[in-house]
Amino acid sequence: MKIIQAIFAALALSVAATSSAATIEMDVNGLVCAFCAQGIEKKLRAYPATADVVVSLEARLVAVSTKEGEDIADDELKRALTDAGYTVKGIRRADESLDAVRARLKEGSH
Amino acid sequence: MNHSIRAALAACAALAWGAPSIAPAKPIAFANGTTVMTEYGAGTMLEGQAFYAPYYWLSIGGGHVRFDSDLDKSHLEITYVRANYLAKRWNLPSAQANVFVWGGLGSAEGNTFGGARLARNAGVQLDYETRRIYASMKSDLWETREFSQRVDTLQLGFAPYAHDYSTLATWFVIQARDYSSRIRHGVEWAALIRLFKGGAWLDAGLTADGKPQVMAMFNF
Repeated sequence: MKIIQAIFAALALSVAATSSAATIEMDVNGLVCAFCAQGIEKKLRAYPATADVVVSLEARLVAVSTKEGEDIADDELKRALTDAGYTVKGIRRADESLDAVRARLKEGSH
Repeated sequence: MNHSIRAALAACAALAWGAPSIAPAKPIAFANGTTVMTEYGAGTMLEGQAFYAPYYWLSIGGGHVRFDSDLDKSHLEITYVRANYLAKRWNLPSAQANVFVWGGLGSAEGNTFGGARLARNAGVQLDYETRRIYASMKSDLWETREFSQRVDTLQLGFAPYAHDYSTLATWFVIQARDYSSRIRHGVEWAALIRLFKGGAWLDAGLTADGKPQVMAMFNF
């Protein structure tokens, strides 16, 4: 019985892990105009795994959320921004949703 | 070719490649982006352009421009193809600086000469931009068998507030331009207001002698 319970627990954890969406934040140098943001947003939205994108010139931040159960590797995101003409200075996985990131940026606390 | 015709042609060439300098602040908007632009310049120029950028460092495209000289009744029309290349970019925490170069070929026709002329264009632009300050220097050379004309343009811009992606950007821009031949004596000054939001851009202003300049551009 314990073995069956362990299998179910492992399956449940596995499903939870694969069904969660990711929010990734990137600190970017060179973000000074709306065209910069437009080009980056267009590039990131082209990924099938992308759910939403936020670009803040004020915070020098680009944040992307992925669809449920999907992810984009850090290296892939860095390459996307490099190919768009910008320099990624930092990249991190956020615990909050993209809406929360958007709200935080609106409040002015980066 | 007498001197007045050469002067008129040079004037048209200067207008052709000098006035558009109020247009795109950067010759390449972004990778996989298309730029269309139309401009009316002080009653002497009407232009349309379309460029596509396969990479952030390259755009290719062309345009058509008509010029009516201030000096006489001569006019000139040029249909051209052109490539813009980003030679160097510096991405700083709160700023960006660029060096662009470009080259192109065109077919020039006018009422001061018969037939079409092959025209060559080359140029360089250096710019520095934050969200509050903009500065650019541009030199543009346009040549045919009959003339060679260089136009040097300096732009200094100031934004009264720092815009973000979702807000309207407002800039006040002062422009100084110098022509390498006798198109004009002294520096030509112009004051412009620049507005953009998302992919839409509008420049509007007046030269020191009160002539309007308007440019609209869309990136998508």
